Amino acid sequence: MTTTSAQAKAAVPAVPPPFDPELAAALAVLAEHLPPAFTLDMIPALRQQSAAVPPVPDEALSRGGAFEVAERQVPGPAGAPQISLTICRPAGVAAPTAAVYYIHGGGMIMGNNRLGLPELLDYVQELGAAVISVEYRLAPETPHPGPVEDCYAGLVWTADHADEVGLDPERIVVAGGSAGGGLAAAVALLARDRGGPPLLAQLLMCPMLDDRNDTPSAQQMAGLGVWDRTSNETGWTALLGAARGGPDVSPYAAPARATDLSGLPPAFIDVGSAETFRDEAVTYASRIWQAGGVAELHVWPGGFHGFAALAPQAAVSREANNAQRSWLRRVLAG
Amino acid sequence: MKDLEVRLAALDPDAGAAVRVIGYFDRLAEAGGGLEAIVRGAAVLTGCPARLTDEERRLSLRVEPDGAHGAPGAPPDRSWLNADVGPAGGGTGGAVLWLERPGPAGPVEAMVLERAAAAVRVVLVRTRGRAPVRAGDDAAAVEVLIDAGAPPEARRHAAHVLGLTGAAQVRAVALARGTGIEPVIWAEPGAGARPKADREPVPNPQDSPRSGIGKAVSLDCVPQSWDTARTALRFTAEGTGDDPGPRSVRYDELGGLALLAGSVGPATPLIPDELALEHAAAAAPWMLATLNAVAASASLRGAAAALLVHHSTLQERIEHAERLLGWTIRKPDGRQRLHLALALRRLRRHPPSP
Repeated sequence: MTTTSAQAKAAVPAVPPPFDPELAAALAVLAEHLPPAFTLDMIPALRQQSAAVPPVPDEALSRGGAFEVAERQVPGPAGAPQISLTICRPAGVAAPTAAVYYIHGGGMIMGNNRLGLPELLDYVQELGAAVISVEYRLAPETPHPGPVEDCYAGLVWTADHADEVGLDPERIVVAGGSAGGGLAAAVALLARDRGGPPLLAQLLMCPMLDDRNDTPSAQQMAGLGVWDRTSNETGWTALLGAARGGPDVSPYAAPARATDLSGLPPAFIDVGSAETFRDEAVTYASRIWQAGGVAELHVWPGGFHGFAALAPQAAVSREANNAQRSWLRRVLAG
Repeated sequence: MKDLEVRLAALDPDAGAAVRVIGYFDRLAEAGGGLEAIVRGAAVLTGCPARLTDEERRLSLRVEPDGAHGAPGAPPDRSWLNADVGPAGGGTGGAVLWLERPGPAGPVEAMVLERAAAAVRVVLVRTRGRAPVRAGDDAAAVEVLIDAGAPPEARRHAAHVLGLTGAAQVRAVALARGTGIEPVIWAEPGAGARPKADREPVPNPQDSPRSGIGKAVSLDCVPQSWDTARTALRFTAEGTGDDPGPRSVRYDELGGLALLAGSVGPATPLIPDELALEHAAAAAPWMLATLNAVAASASLRGAAAALLVHHSTLQERIEHAERLLGWTIRKPDGRQRLHLALALRRLRRHPPSP
């Protein structure tokens, strides 16, 4: 008798790791704002909702005048529309500053480039760096490679126009959370493979890396927490259509598919133990080490997806956010 | 999802806030959240610094609305919103939960204080082994749980008040209070028990009331456990010379003796062995204690030690007792007969409660 991989997968214990007590309590309150799972038929409603929510205003991004905020339309990928960059640069600093090139999350299907930005700016403010946040097109309206090429085009423009914006092109950190983390990892792969801008580091916060969606953590957490296996299938299917999970998925869509993880900038990867992405994040860090690279990996016990952003007050969230901040400080000080 | 504009924040006092507050602290208790997590929850949900103070335990915790914990600084201002966690447990003061904001409390603050204080009480019971139980509502909840006629909804609510969830295993305990019997619920360690209901305390200290401990049951069967607890209580004794024996009896350990309880009441005629026991008891002040020690000890040497008398003294007492009783108590049959006579005596002294 042979053991098929399906049988091996069925043997994975379905018992999920418990949520951290505080995060479990927070989830009880947050759950009413979150559907049990995101499905493709919810996309029209998501678009309506996001159209109804006013964007985070410039004032919220300026952090009381600490940042000068500008919106720039820059060339997109060849043959594609222009893309919008929100540029937040430390006010009154003449010298070129380091930059965090930020890619927002939202499962490839939601969000905009100002969501989550105020919190990131709070970190970056004390480090004297600028933040450039890219407005990439979303799936399913724009399937792969549209979103990642938008992100890459914005990075190339930023590096090429570093002088004009007041940035040090040698000190750009690519950063993102969730889908943004996956896109940031993909942008780092593209920059390596195309001889693009040299990146100082990559900050991958609970990154969405693997379209196959079949790790033990994806199976354990099905139906639980935030962005479960069903939601993840929705996001990847929106991006890749029928190709999702098949043999021909590009590493620039799903960085877990990359066969070579050498020659990448130092990575920070964090993830919760109680989320879909746990195993793919851990594997990505391990493979970077195995390829002779540099990675700092944090697996936060009992964390659901996005816990540090959704429940930032919880003790474990504060530790997770401190770890990101501390890493960024070390990277930018180096 | 990261970057969705969803974030745990201070609650607005809208219609759903109460449900969210209850959900938050229930889930926190269920997941085993500690004191700081509870105080942090109070601070986050109200957007106001929160404190927990407990002079008795020298406890002082302070958490900011952003979740940071800090030094308490100045002592709490008496004008701040606060909730007693429980009455002073014989020391200098009980635990108090504070919101650093003067009153009056809005609906969210009131609800947070109530639920957070209840959650703190559960943790203190669990971790400090002592139960600063608020007598009023908890006692009422216990009464509901032991009442076979209570509707399911009321029973669920009562279990909830006591911090018990569906999977909990509990025991009803009957405590002798004066001429009445007070019911208590003990939670068995394990699933579903984050109890405000007491965990089993140190067994049988002399100053505690006589107690009958019922069998362990699920939350649906507390009335049955209560019946067994009251049966067990009938087999207890004051532990005095006039009424020697255990102050605490577990129904589980009664075995077949429990059947005896159903057939002996105040109107049941005395059997000859009971008359013989009373006859012996009237002969010497040490008699009952001695007989009890002989019946309850593994050996005569053990009985002598329990009575703090010399072995030869015990031998003399036993010979005296055997003459009065009319049967030997140094052989297994005779000791069993004595044991039953003593049990019958306790059952008569403690008739079934109504």
